[in-house]
Amino acid sequence: MSTMSDDSKNSLLEEKLIKNLNTKLGVSINFQKERRLWTSIDSDKIVDICTKAYEMGFEHLSTISVTDWLEEGKHELVYHLWSYSHKVLLTIKTKIDRKNPNISSINSIWGANAETCERECHELFGVKFEGNPNLTPLFLEDWEGPPPFLKDFNWREYVKEETYDQNNPREKVYFEVKK
Amino acid sequence: MTEINEQKVTGDFSMYFGPAHPGSGNFSIKCEMRGERVLKATADPGYLHRGFEKLMEYREPMQNAVLSDRVCVLEPLQWNLVHAEAVDYLMEYEVPERAKYIRVILAELSRIQSHFIWYAAMSLGTGFMTGFNIAIGYRDYILDVLNLITGGRVYPAGYICPGGVRKDLPEKAENKILELLPKIDYMRKFALKQNPAWLARFKEIGTLTKEEAIKFGAVGPILRGCGVESDVRRDDPYEIYDELEFDVPVMDDGDAYARFTVGMQEIEESMKIITQSIDRLPKGEVKTPNLKPRVQFQKAEGEIYIRNELSRGEGAFYMVATGQKTPYRVKIRGPSFTHMIPIIEHLLTDVAYADVPAIYWSMYQCPADVDR
Repeated sequence: MSTMSDDSKNSLLEEKLIKNLNTKLGVSINFQKERRLWTSIDSDKIVDICTKAYEMGFEHLSTISVTDWLEEGKHELVYHLWSYSHKVLLTIKTKIDRKNPNISSINSIWGANAETCERECHELFGVKFEGNPNLTPLFLEDWEGPPPFLKDFNWREYVKEETYDQNNPREKVYFEVKK
Repeated sequence: MTEINEQKVTGDFSMYFGPAHPGSGNFSIKCEMRGERVLKATADPGYLHRGFEKLMEYREPMQNAVLSDRVCVLEPLQWNLVHAEAVDYLMEYEVPERAKYIRVILAELSRIQSHFIWYAAMSLGTGFMTGFNIAIGYRDYILDVLNLITGGRVYPAGYICPGGVRKDLPEKAENKILELLPKIDYMRKFALKQNPAWLARFKEIGTLTKEEAIKFGAVGPILRGCGVESDVRRDDPYEIYDELEFDVPVMDDGDAYARFTVGMQEIEESMKIITQSIDRLPKGEVKTPNLKPRVQFQKAEGEIYIRNELSRGEGAFYMVATGQKTPYRVKIRGPSFTHMIPIIEHLLTDVAYADVPAIYWSMYQCPADVDR
């Protein structure tokens, strides 16, 4: 992450916003580049911080993303919030245990929008959002395998084993492809 | 296509709008009906889920540039651009000035042809076949120029790639683009003024308030149709948009007509952007010197969230690089995702079934970027 350049007018405004966010949210806000701020928080504070950020003008929940850090054994949830008034994107990151991926839902703030984003994260990564009443499958129909976007899920192998027959001469070729 | 519910009220049944409906695209909505009224609607996406985010984790940036075309069939060049910007940032590429202009010109041409498809789809969905034929016809003029420049009519195969664009503009391409503008202008006027009886069909249906739009995460023409003046090109400028003059059309009504009109008015702004960009188009390189993304991406570490204003609104790429050949994680935020799931379910509550196609099409949906 780059350090702050202090020669432009925008960065002065951002500096002020960072100070404001630091005090009101009670977290340490980092500057990535122009109009991009980020912070890392504990997962149990997510609803509290998001509510405060919403009240401070970060009204648009752009999306929720999950990064699966396999070696570390953590899922990183990334919430991207845009402010129409400050014209700044605030990225809130939090890590949860990979074996027990539970976090509170933020549907009290963004309603159905947050619920839909969470549904996607639940389906593709298996993250459970407590308080979200609708975690039904979104894209995958009749899927009984593990959450498909996890790093330790090899979909190429899965498709080969589940779909093709090694003894069928027409499908043998799929098993001859180098890994 | 219909199921009779085992309830006491006779006339209660479920009806599916799509995916076999002639105008629904690869998308389906299950409507709980009572007689002619839709009581509740449930969106059913997934017909086009190809798992791009996972596919991109297995591919190198230049391969992903080609793949990014396919995120949305109707605006591939703009998806190329979002992807390329994410990689540019992570690899710290300085994109040459000429490439930035070419990127903007192509993104705007792509926006116009996508808006023409919107007009065509609205017409098709509501029984105005002439409108469909005219809009698709005029879109073809733009596709010819895209074919000349990128080599592909619909899919440019990663023309806007990390580090610039794949190839410089061919000879006389600027003239060909300028020759397009009167044709685009004719279609724009046709869309805004012709057939007021048909346009009146969209008034006062599918109304979304400003507060609802923000809470549900509406973006692009849908948000601007509710009176929020927000455009990523202006609020969070990328490429050369901060140097260009253009307006952001806004309407306050929030109904299907307002959304559609805002979209059609945007065509004029895109034309302004194209004219200015061609006037100022500098000479020079169109690619970063020493472009070797295959080797260079292995040095990239970090993450970025890039937002662009696509035809349908805010489209974004979240990319994490950890010094491997391929990105560690890619998240794609399609503008239709919020429009087609939470918002459409909200709007299709207690409406007449006859209004469903009009409301559905006014959301400017692209099932491909919902599912990804």
